[in-house]
Amino acid sequence: MKRIKSVIALLLAFIMIFMLAACNKPAETTETTEEPKEEEAETTTEEPAEEPAEAEVTDYRDFTIDASKIPQEKLDTTLYLAVSVRGLENPYIATIKVGMELFAEYLDGIGQKYEMQVLDSGGSNDKEVDNMRQFAAKADGNAIAYADPNENSIAYSLAEAMAESGGYIGTAWNKPDDVGPEDLTPNWVIHTSPDNVINGYEIAKALFDAQDGKGKIFVLEGMMGNTAAIDRAKGLDQALAEYPDIEVVGRDTANWATAEALTLVETWLNQNPDVGGIWCANDNMATGALQALDKAGLKGKVGVVGIDANTDIVEAVASGDAVATVSSNGYLQGGYTLAICYAAWTGLLDVEALPAEFREFATPATVITGENVAEFQSYSPDFDFSKPFGCKAD
Amino acid sequence: MAIRNSGNMSITEEFAAKIKRDNQKERIMKLAPVIVLFALILIFSIVCGKDFASLKNLVAVLNQLAIPLLVAIGLTFVIMIGGIDLSINGTVGMAASLVGIFVMNNRFTQFNLGIGGILIGILSSVLVGFLAGLIHVYLRIPSFMVTFAFMYVCKGIGLLSYSGEPPTILDPVLAELPKKSFIGIPFITWMALIVLGICILIQEYTAFGRYIYAVGTDESILSAVGVSVKKVKVKVFTLAGLCFGIAGALAAIRLGQGQVNVGEGLMFPAQAAVVVGGTSLAGGKGGVINTIVGVLVMRVLSNGLVLMGVNPYIRTGIEGIIILVAVALTVARGAKVISK
Repeated sequence: MKRIKSVIALLLAFIMIFMLAACNKPAETTETTEEPKEEEAETTTEEPAEEPAEAEVTDYRDFTIDASKIPQEKLDTTLYLAVSVRGLENPYIATIKVGMELFAEYLDGIGQKYEMQVLDSGGSNDKEVDNMRQFAAKADGNAIAYADPNENSIAYSLAEAMAESGGYIGTAWNKPDDVGPEDLTPNWVIHTSPDNVINGYEIAKALFDAQDGKGKIFVLEGMMGNTAAIDRAKGLDQALAEYPDIEVVGRDTANWATAEALTLVETWLNQNPDVGGIWCANDNMATGALQALDKAGLKGKVGVVGIDANTDIVEAVASGDAVATVSSNGYLQGGYTLAICYAAWTGLLDVEALPAEFREFATPATVITGENVAEFQSYSPDFDFSKPFGCKAD
Repeated sequence: MAIRNSGNMSITEEFAAKIKRDNQKERIMKLAPVIVLFALILIFSIVCGKDFASLKNLVAVLNQLAIPLLVAIGLTFVIMIGGIDLSINGTVGMAASLVGIFVMNNRFTQFNLGIGGILIGILSSVLVGFLAGLIHVYLRIPSFMVTFAFMYVCKGIGLLSYSGEPPTILDPVLAELPKKSFIGIPFITWMALIVLGICILIQEYTAFGRYIYAVGTDESILSAVGVSVKKVKVKVFTLAGLCFGIAGALAAIRLGQGQVNVGEGLMFPAQAAVVVGGTSLAGGKGGVINTIVGVLVMRVLSNGLVLMGVNPYIRTGIEGIIILVAVALTVARGAKVISK
């Protein structure tokens, strides 16, 4: 009897949870729009640092690595190169590795001895810091690295791991506002990031314009708690505020994953087969959205936007199945970050004298739409690493 | 049936009465997973109305059912022998990646093997299951440890195979398959159902199926009658590998892309589905049919919550609580049966 009672009690609890969930529904729309605002304080990107750049300092933009000035002993020392990333399964991250390889070709050209490796964190904070510590220790000061911190909180630890051994590091994308390269001068050389808010906003605008400024949309957000996910959603919300006739009828996270995006869109399409567009915080999810549309016979009729410029989405933009994506140019991020760190390691660049706006800055991103997609497809990265600050946006 | 411990039955009548009560309860509790499933369907039908209780949504649920179902079936056998398989995320991802590479795709044009490509993907996973079984049995390493290690090995193979940009499947037949259906049920789900049917046959009508239960209940019984427990275990892991491989191949076809990521997040929901269905983690109890109910519970749950538009910030939490409730209900039943 007791057991049956407990079963009934559990069932009741179960139903109550549902009621709770159901009650939550009306509140949901307001909550999601408010959410990003709350985060605003802590996630402002490095824009403030950029503003005064052009006025006073233009010389660093022209800063050149003069190979003839690099001491022969430096050239003969084995320099360890690394990119520390979440995992190579993401096509965008793979381009960062290619960026390192391009920079390595440049080192070949000037006769620098080096070894390079990819530090794969597999999405784990601890592992990324450990990797960096081991890498730095092995290199004993003769190391330069590009790091994409898995989460904001570990940016400092990563830089510290490198600084302890005397190597040089540049971080990208994620970092808390209250710490920065200047805390670990000279070893934490730079922090750069494409502007996520602007990217999220630009693709949203492209999507809404393709819908003539009205209609229903689905929103696939990135992993909750990720800076990039929060900021891209913030950009979307800015655009939504400008387009009052756009209605969000489904908004959820697909955790950057194709399969989850496919499942969500498949489910939503039953509710709202008349959807006009799908905003995705990255291209992996856009791939899933397109596959779901294809199944429903709606591919090409419903606009899809993403970020990352994965090959399949760029092709979809070219064929008209997708509206826009953004290239953050991982080749440039990986290659130039290493180039700047290299300049610091050789002693040609005095990090302490480097103005703030060259320590934290935005790297360029290109919105790819039907108009410029052909141009992008024929793009092959070709950089002049002897001018390392050529990667600064604006 | 195993007798793990004995209660405190000192008086004969009390004993008889208890047995009678237990039998009644057992009958009720045996239905617990089904009751949970119907409760979910009922609640979602009321709350979401037509959005949930529509033919279209049923097809969507069926479409999303195939891969979790295949994974959970494979896992069921492993759990029935008292083991655990943590390699799922890797094996499924590896199979999917290899399928993507070895059929007509946009990246590796030299490897177009058609149906052979699908077989390579599936066989890779079968091989991993076989090896995991061998190592587990002959080196006497706990199954969770061996399979955990293989998860990384497989992820590595998957990642290496296409290094970065996942291959998009261009084979015209395969690209059309996700859209194909027969009497309203999607093709991919049919494939899963066929595997399910075969697994039910194996479980119910073969000596191997009975051995699986026996290994989970008490290995010494099998040894006593001269059946090799080791061979049974290796076969179970190989069979699980087959199920994961087919899941990976179908996942690649469903996505239209061979990605190692398709395996992500499959493992724990599958474990939960198996347990919710009423298969005991201690082994020897439950089976594939229970797992169907478990997988349906998990699928309906996440489908319903998405349709309700529950804020994603709290959806995961709610999902967890409901799974806990469902497990509490069904495990209570398991405990009863085992202790009696």
